Amino acid sequence: MGCSLATSLVDLIKKIKRSHDPEFLFIEPSEMVVTQELQDVAAMGHRDVRYQVGPLITLVDAPRFPFMWAERQQLIIGQISGADAVALSRTDKLEDSSPEEIRNVLRPYRNGIDLLSVHDSDSLEQMLMNVPEFSAP
Amino acid sequence: MRLICVSGIKGSGKTTLIKAMVRKAAALDKSSAVIVNESGKESYEDAFIDDLKVPVQYLRGG
Repeated sequence: MGCSLATSLVDLIKKIKRSHDPEFLFIEPSEMVVTQELQDVAAMGHRDVRYQVGPLITLVDAPRFPFMWAERQQLIIGQISGADAVALSRTDKLEDSSPEEIRNVLRPYRNGIDLLSVHDSDSLEQMLMNVPEFSAP
Repeated sequence: MRLICVSGIKGSGKTTLIKAMVRKAAALDKSSAVIVNESGKESYEDAFIDDLKVPVQYLRGG
């Protein structure tokens, strides 16, 4: 993420805070953004407006993992490093490898990787529990 | 305001997860807004987002 893009994102965060002040602001960056960049943006915005940060969630597309790991290893490492929660997504579409095989590849960089499938409501609910307000009784 | 980011490659389920969180927030009577990179713009142009009156801002280039 370039400097001007980071500034644009910070400006949008501040704009939404001032105009709507929602309880949650969800950010979906482009696929090339790594977690450290998001942490930097969140810190920049903090100078002017107050908000809580996190969780920073990274999804690793399980069916395409072998290809992506071969082609974009540094990007995946950058996205899972420092994330508050990491999940293998679309695990219901896995054919050539198992979630455990992918976890083993990623273990040097990240422990504790969840599984996420939209067809498994339990896995979705577990992801949602990473948000403190969603897990409160 | 709590800032929640969902990263991952295209097609990894970011929009699906964010929409699930927006639904969960709405069920708890909590408000949401979304910032999405421009290539994901169309994914949020649907009735569900409109009905909940969720502000969606687009980030050009990012």
